[in-house]
Amino acid sequence: MSLAATTEAPSKNSPGPAGHPSFLKNAWRVIAKKPGRLLGLAIIVLFTLMAIFGPYLYPRQLPINPNAIYAPISWHYPLGTDFEGTSNLALIVTGARYVLFAAAMAAVFTVVFGTALGLISGYYLGWPDSVIMRVTDFILTIPGFPLLVVLSTIWNFGQPMAMGFVLGITGWGGLARAVRSQTLSLRERGFIEAARTLGLSPFHILFKEILPNVGSYIAMNLLLAVTGSIYAEVGLFFLGVVPFQVNNWGVMLNLAVFSAGAMSSTQALPYLLSPLLALLILTLGVVLFLDAVDEMFNPRLKEA
Amino acid sequence: MKNILVRLAKRIFAGIIMVLVMASFTFFLVRMMPGNPVSAKYNELIMRGMTPVQAMDEVRVMYGFIPHQPLWQQYLHYLVQILHLNLGTSISYEGVPVLHIILDAAPWTIILVTTGLIASFIVGVLAGVIAAVKRSSPTGNAITLSGSIMHGIPQFVMGLFLAYVFTTLWAILPFGAPYNAALTPGFNGPFISSLVRHAILPVATYALSSYGGWLLTMKSSVITVLGDDFILASEVRGIKAKTRVRYIAHNAILPLFTIFALSIGFMFGGSLFIEDIFDYPGLGNLLLHAIDARDYPLMSGAFLLITVAVIVANIFADFLYSVVDPRIRR
Repeated sequence: MSLAATTEAPSKNSPGPAGHPSFLKNAWRVIAKKPGRLLGLAIIVLFTLMAIFGPYLYPRQLPINPNAIYAPISWHYPLGTDFEGTSNLALIVTGARYVLFAAAMAAVFTVVFGTALGLISGYYLGWPDSVIMRVTDFILTIPGFPLLVVLSTIWNFGQPMAMGFVLGITGWGGLARAVRSQTLSLRERGFIEAARTLGLSPFHILFKEILPNVGSYIAMNLLLAVTGSIYAEVGLFFLGVVPFQVNNWGVMLNLAVFSAGAMSSTQALPYLLSPLLALLILTLGVVLFLDAVDEMFNPRLKEA
Repeated sequence: MKNILVRLAKRIFAGIIMVLVMASFTFFLVRMMPGNPVSAKYNELIMRGMTPVQAMDEVRVMYGFIPHQPLWQQYLHYLVQILHLNLGTSISYEGVPVLHIILDAAPWTIILVTTGLIASFIVGVLAGVIAAVKRSSPTGNAITLSGSIMHGIPQFVMGLFLAYVFTTLWAILPFGAPYNAALTPGFNGPFISSLVRHAILPVATYALSSYGGWLLTMKSSVITVLGDDFILASEVRGIKAKTRVRYIAHNAILPLFTIFALSIGFMFGGSLFIEDIFDYPGLGNLLLHAIDARDYPLMSGAFLLITVAVIVANIFADFLYSVVDPRIRR
């Protein structure tokens, strides 16, 4: 987030809109350039598939096995088992849906709020700008995570949508500021002035002229918001302040550390390490892919 | 100088407004809770055989507001109490004023966060400068990579990892209470060494988890400044290398103040994980305990104090910024 804010403004030859036929081809060319990016994409696709189809691969009630409590890693239990003898792999795969869906919702809310408010604030200036920037300062200053913890006493986080909405509401500040500062410099450029002289509507100028030029920030922030939200929600479940209605990675972490004593008994260690492994692999995927997104959307890095 | 003071006054005013907004937020939050804990407590006391007057007094002391008044009156009463630093009494620590409990816990969190912040700032900024100057060498790449990795690891994973390695695998560092309870607190060798040894792991977690952010920002900032014309000009004019480094440092460090705000909030947010993992008795741990015990006055109090700490730190950072950046003085 902070990195994105310090890089320079993209030049004015805007990347094609997302629907443009050559966009996908271009995206693929950029991704295929480095094996790391391909790996990142593969990881993200794998986790997305897991979130969509994972729960259908296993029975609704995951089988328990009293004879295999905290079983070590084997062919039958590739990641060992938990305190009931349920396969950790099954828990990870079925738990992915909540985690990823909530994170995707959070990223969408963050991007929608941050982009819209940043564009309006930077383009209209005047009182909308000062009001929006006051609110942004406020959002950026209040400690977000303690706020989430306090909100969890009243808000039902059992639904990924609710979780995503709250994460989005508390997380759009940085993006709004970055988009605003970009809009501020863009609105003085020739092509925007030309559009204004032509009498194009503010809606057209904001969304057709300015928005494509801040695309790289938005795309970067979308992915960063995904990882940030995953950490925040898994963290909330890890701390145990949210009632455990659903199985997910944070619940596994909490039970492993605070109930199973995985920190002191090597027996329960696979139960602790499986969700951590899932988190780290997913983060790795996002970080590797971020590099490609930067090049895709940042016209300065694009080769002619 | 006058400009700086005006700016400071404005910031303090905005900070006070922010604190009052957050206080109002927790007030309405507790009132909106399913089964409204205030009237629930009132009814419970009546059931125990208290007279309504007694019960009302009890609830008033506990939560700082009165159950049978219109909401706006309760709200005004609550705000007046807050301004008098009266945050009600705790429910789980029966009868102890909330202010007393949170002020007991606050120093642990604030000292740990500050130490972690300063340590990561110094190391991160220095490493960032090296990474920027040697950006095309293996050393520079390695430093940048270390920053990206540290930046990517969530705080609780870092905390769990350190706890596992240093308290389970090689049991060389203690965790739990801030010092060994067998020692008498005071200015003596064993006590201070125990204090430091207990603080190492939490401080290391704070520092490692924010080191990457400083490093990456400083690196990109230095690279930007290195490309500026005035650096080239000073080189051409033959100004001493030492002076040039000072120019670079002075200009490159300015953008760091803007991410300071984010960092402070992140650190205090992290205190929840870090104090939970290391079982350290600070504000984060207190907030979690209050939520577990449904101790709402304590919860509001702890949350409010965390907010106040973050806001004060921000005002301080902004003040430093206005002293360092000559453009603001004009």
